[in-house]
Amino acid sequence: MITLENVSKIYNAALESKPVTAVADLSFSVQAGGITGFVGPNGAGKTTSIKMILGLVQPSTGKVTLMGEPAGSPKARQKISYVSEQPYFYEHLTAEETLKFLCEMKDIPKGDRTSEIDRVLEKVELSHRRKAKVKTFSKGMQQRLNMAQALLGKPELIIMDEPMSGLDPLGRRLFRDIFRDLRQSGITVFFSTHIIDDIENLCDRVVVLSKGKLKYQGDIQKLIDQSSKGIEYRLTGDQAKQLDVHGSTDCKVTTAPDGTVTVVAESTENSLVSKITEAKILPISIMPIRSSLEEVLYDPKEPQEER
Amino acid sequence: MCRGTARRAPTVRNSRRPNHKMETTMKTIFAIAGNTFKETIRNKVLYNILLFAGIIIALSISFGQFSVFARVQVMNDFGLATMSISGLLLAVFVGSAMLGKEISGRTIYLMATKPIPRWHILVGKFIGVYFTLLLNFAIMSFFFAISLKLSEGELTIMHVQALTLLFVELGVILATSLFFSVLSSPTLASIFTIGFYIGGHFNDLTGMESLTKGASVVAPLLKLINLILPNLEHFNVRSAVVFNESIPSGYMVSAIAYGAIFILIPLILAGIFFEKKDL
Repeated sequence: MITLENVSKIYNAALESKPVTAVADLSFSVQAGGITGFVGPNGAGKTTSIKMILGLVQPSTGKVTLMGEPAGSPKARQKISYVSEQPYFYEHLTAEETLKFLCEMKDIPKGDRTSEIDRVLEKVELSHRRKAKVKTFSKGMQQRLNMAQALLGKPELIIMDEPMSGLDPLGRRLFRDIFRDLRQSGITVFFSTHIIDDIENLCDRVVVLSKGKLKYQGDIQKLIDQSSKGIEYRLTGDQAKQLDVHGSTDCKVTTAPDGTVTVVAESTENSLVSKITEAKILPISIMPIRSSLEEVLYDPKEPQEER
Repeated sequence: MCRGTARRAPTVRNSRRPNHKMETTMKTIFAIAGNTFKETIRNKVLYNILLFAGIIIALSISFGQFSVFARVQVMNDFGLATMSISGLLLAVFVGSAMLGKEISGRTIYLMATKPIPRWHILVGKFIGVYFTLLLNFAIMSFFFAISLKLSEGELTIMHVQALTLLFVELGVILATSLFFSVLSSPTLASIFTIGFYIGGHFNDLTGMESLTKGASVVAPLLKLINLILPNLEHFNVRSAVVFNESIPSGYMVSAIAYGAIFILIPLILAGIFFEKKDL
C-alpha cells in the first residue's frame, strides 16, 4: 500500500546554517490490512515521511508510491484519508459544514452526504455538536472531528500522525475502539505514535525510525521476541543442590532468604538448561526475560537529537 | 451511543468518465470558492464598504455649492478612484493572505490530502475572493449611484464600462497576489503586488524612449519592467467618464481580453509552482 524506496529529504535552511537531513535513504513498505505503527523519538523523521507519503512534501531523492501510484498524484489519494497531529479546521464553519465541504472534496455523491455525516459524527460521539462552530470546540473535540473527516467515504488506508495527542482517557479509548473497528473492516491503518501502550495494544506491525533512518520493520511480536535477554528458572533449594547450580559458570545464581534459588541463563543453549531437561526436574517457575518495548524502540545508548 | 451500526459507507465515485471528471473539477473548484467566499464574508472584510459609503455620500452632500456639472465630474472622478483603491486594497491584502493563512494555519491539509490536484485549490481561492470583490463592487456601485443621484447626476453606460474594466484590473491584481503568495510570505506578496500595481500603472512611463535609452543604470531596469508588467492604464477610463467621452466597444473587448491574459498567466505560473511546493 505504501512504498518508500531510498527516500531522503533535506531541508535547505537559512544562509548561515547547514542543510538539515530529516530523512536519509529510507526504504520501507506497509502492506494492506491491519495496523502498522510508525515509531520513533522526536525528530526521527516520522512527520516528514508521512508528509512525503501524502505528497505534501517532495522527497529530495528516492521514490514514494501510494496504492501503486506516485505519491502526490490525486489518484494516489483517491482511497486514503489523513488525520493530522493537530486538528486544523476552518473556524468559521460548523462541524456539519466542515464535513459537507470535505464530502465535496472527496466526491461523495450528494445523496449520501447527510447519512455519511450522521454516521461519522455518531462514531466519534459528536452528533450533538454538529451545528456548533469548530472554534467553540475543545482540542479533544476537534481531534475527534479530525477522525470523523478521515472516516468519510470508504478509505482503504488511513494515515495518522500522532492521532491521540491531546485526547483525554475517554477520547483515547474511543479512538482505540475506532482503530479496532477499522482493522475488522479491513481498512489499513498507518499511524505514528510515541505511546508504547498504543504500540503494544494496537499494532500488528511496526516501522521504527531513528534519526531519519529505518531501524526495524516488521511484526511487533517478532520484535518483542528478539528482545529476549534470557530465561529465568526458580528452583527449590533441593533442586538447586541436585543440579549443582552454584558450580555453573555460565549462569547467574542468586539465593533468596526463603531458600529458593533463581538461575538466569542467557540462552537455552546452556549447560544448566541441559541438566534441568535431562534430570526431568520441574522448576517452581520458568520465565523468559525480555527488554521492555520501550527499551527496544528507544535504545538509551543511542543519542537522540531534536530537530 | 450506538457505535458500530451496520450502515454502509458510500464509496467515492468512479472518476474515469471524462464528463464526470469535468463535473468533479467544477464541483471541487466551486466548493473551494464557496468556502473562501464564506470565510471572507464571515471575517467581515466588506466593512470597507461602510467607510466608502460614508465618504461618498458625505462628499455628495458637501458639494452642494458647486455647479451641477462640476459636482458630477468630481463625484465621478472621486467615486471611481475610491472604488479602485478600495478594491485594490482588498485584492492585495485578501489575495496575498488567503493562501498564506491556509498554509501557516495548516488548513490547506484538509484539501491537499484529498484526491484533487492542487491547482483546484488555487483556482477555487481565486474565484472565491474574486466573487467577494464582485459583491464589494456591486454594493459600492449602489452607493455610488445614490451619491450621483444626490449630485443630480446618473449612472450611465460609461460608468458600467469603467467599472467593468476596473473589475478586470482587480482580477489581474488578485491573480498576481496569489502568484506572489505561492512564492513568498503574505507580507512580501502584498509588497510585491503593490509594486506590480505601481509598475503597471507607470508602464507608459517606463516604456518612454528617453528613459530607457542611455547609459543610466536604471534604464535596463525600466526596460525590463516595461517588458514584463502589463499596462494597467488600459483599464483606466476614468477621464473618459469624467469628460463624458464614449468608450468604443472594440476597446472594451480588447482591454477585457488583455486582462484575461494577465489573469491567466500568473494563475498558470502559480499553479506550476504550487504543485511542487512543500506544505
